[in-house]
Amino acid sequence: MFAALYAPSIPAASLIAVARAFTPRFEQVGPLVLLDAGGLSRLFGSAQELGSHLSEALTKHATGGATGTAPRVAIASTQTAAALLVLGRPGLTVVEPGQEEKALAPLSVTVLDRYEHLRTRAPEHPSTPAPEHPSTSGWHHPRQTHEASRPKPKAGGPSAGSGSPRAKSRGENRHLEILNKWGIRTLGAFAAINGPEVFERLGERGLQWQALARGVDARPLVPWVDEVPFEAALELEWPIEGLEPLSFVLARLFEPLSERLEQADRGAAAIYTSLRLTTKRVHSRMLPLPAPMRDAKTLRTLVLLDLETHPPDAPIDIVRVCIEPTPGRVLQWTLLERAQPAPEQVSTLIARLSALMGDTHVGSPRLVETWKPGAFEMAAFQVRGCSGAEVLECKEKDGAVGSALRRFRFPIPTRVQVREGRPIRVNTDRQGFSSGAIVQSAGPWRTSGEWWQEGQAWDRDEWDVAMADGTIYRLVVERGVGQWFLEGIVD
Amino acid sequence: MAIRATVEALLRERKLDRTLTSAIPERLGEDAVSPLDVETLDRGLAGGLPRGQVSEVVGPASSGRTGLLWAALAAATRRGESVALIDTFDRFDPPTAAACGIVLPQLLWVRGQAVSKTAVAIDPAWLPGVRAVNGPGTFVERVIDRAIKSLNLVVQSGVCTLVAIDLIDVPAAALRRLPAATWFRIERAIEGSDTAVVILATQPVARSSGGRSIVLGGDSRISSSTSAKGSVDSPDSRIPAPVWNGAHDRSRRLGGVRSGADVSAARWSHANQVAVHTRFVHAV
Repeated sequence: MFAALYAPSIPAASLIAVARAFTPRFEQVGPLVLLDAGGLSRLFGSAQELGSHLSEALTKHATGGATGTAPRVAIASTQTAAALLVLGRPGLTVVEPGQEEKALAPLSVTVLDRYEHLRTRAPEHPSTPAPEHPSTSGWHHPRQTHEASRPKPKAGGPSAGSGSPRAKSRGENRHLEILNKWGIRTLGAFAAINGPEVFERLGERGLQWQALARGVDARPLVPWVDEVPFEAALELEWPIEGLEPLSFVLARLFEPLSERLEQADRGAAAIYTSLRLTTKRVHSRMLPLPAPMRDAKTLRTLVLLDLETHPPDAPIDIVRVCIEPTPGRVLQWTLLERAQPAPEQVSTLIARLSALMGDTHVGSPRLVETWKPGAFEMAAFQVRGCSGAEVLECKEKDGAVGSALRRFRFPIPTRVQVREGRPIRVNTDRQGFSSGAIVQSAGPWRTSGEWWQEGQAWDRDEWDVAMADGTIYRLVVERGVGQWFLEGIVD
Repeated sequence: MAIRATVEALLRERKLDRTLTSAIPERLGEDAVSPLDVETLDRGLAGGLPRGQVSEVVGPASSGRTGLLWAALAAATRRGESVALIDTFDRFDPPTAAACGIVLPQLLWVRGQAVSKTAVAIDPAWLPGVRAVNGPGTFVERVIDRAIKSLNLVVQSGVCTLVAIDLIDVPAAALRRLPAATWFRIERAIEGSDTAVVILATQPVARSSGGRSIVLGGDSRISSSTSAKGSVDSPDSRIPAPVWNGAHDRSRRLGGVRSGADVSAARWSHANQVAVHTRFVHAV
């Protein structure tokens, strides 16, 4: 026995809540919800009484929302029949077992197209209401990522055949058009045609449609399984201060979470840590991970290092961690490339270095689209492999190495003596830098830019000068103010 | 010595080397070194920078020491390896490095603290004869301490196959105050691994037994202690000399630096002398 609910005026979450109130075995098919009503007679009586209860529950939810289509309920012995009836008939419809084909017969063949379209379409609304959490002040559940981890139904379902959605749409219209040309308007008329003749004219899909028209299930009900959020919390008897005792608490929280991640073949994409302090404030941290990982020790270390960099300002009362799950990592090793270190190793290293040197001082440099000398930005360091073609490319070489420029992040102000427009002597007070006569110079190389941005403009002349002791400096004169700087050493 | 080597070889064959001798089996093959992809330098280094060892690149300013290190980093990154640079005083210039062939996404850059004019003025570590009483107290000592700790973290993680630390601009007095155990610890951490560590400095700092010392330039204080007798080239050929292109003042451009280097190792009978030629690259 199956029941189908259809109520466009009710939000999908409410519809699911109604279904959940009657049975844990239900499936969402677009705006439809199909319930496995087997065994519910002991709780709600006959099928008619069950239908009345369902209608009543839907009406309660509908009254709170905007006025629209009245809720529909259909009960039949097959889920297909229940779904087609709820789409084709208003109000409550209850079909006795064995009477499905008869009940479906007067319905228009267009419901087949509509039902199939709903089955192949992705859900419009979040299928699962957000899990409820204790009303801890300041605690917010992370964004609903369980949907992201759930494999999305493909646009072309198994029953929809191959091709783009537009092509499928054309195909559906073509079948309806053919049926119309035949003069077939109802499901009863379609079901009465001989099966082989339908196959000859409409192919396998025609047979599938005919089975639907007779109320035969093409597949069993796939009950919705709630994904339990990967989170754990621990309320401490005594507030803890410092990160060392917190380490043991985190280990206790992460170990079961790690096991659950492994059982679900999931990895952590981000860790949300929430510490409720004795001051009633909540210290929240979000730690994104570069790759899915589920090793409890690694997760604990990363959170600890993050908290070391951003420590709470009071003792901790409640520790709560929540893991954003993502599908597990699949690796294919190869003999043709060097084995790369595990992302857990890299993440731990970066976290340790960041805690020591600061977040902005660890990473990979990235060039930016500008002509400004020395411009760069920091990006996250990620280990990536090198293909065979790239390795071969690096074999090209000439006999010289490139000259490095050791750039001073704070250019050193210096006094420069100029004769006939060329620097001839450099004097600097900074220890470790040579002063004296310039033996050779090249320049000026004039650059300017970003004059349209306040505080970002530069307008300067660059000189490469060689000192008597062999040191080669990059000298810069700011043209606006005439100030000379040592910008770097060519090395 | 021959008998000892024979005994050790026999012990190793029976896989008793770690029990009765501390000698790690010598790495063989192309994978034992990290080549620089510069023929003359690789020949002088006997293949490249040895993995599992601490090497050093030493030289005066503008001798091509940093360019040589960048060449090693560039070659490793182009092979798909991950490399790390502990930049003690934040002197790395990414645009020039990219122009020199370093694949920047493959580089883990640990930026130290750039030294401002104020920091120098107030820090006694730059003055000779002054040292902190209890541990790393001054600004420079803290910066060096953090750089060494970063180096330890990187080599212990095993993430990068070539790890360089830039100790140029570190005051000699501060460098001398580093305990010798610092470098023993690094040696122990990379022993037998794929990681090669390179120290870039003005003066010799440390080198493991299987590592290489590359001493650039003609500084007699540096080269006299490491170069072997009977050098083929005269000392003058190792003095860095800038190469200028163009005869006229207006058309002159810096072409590069011509220099020389002595490459030595613990078991080598003499230092290899190699010519180092750097080519000036424009970052834009």
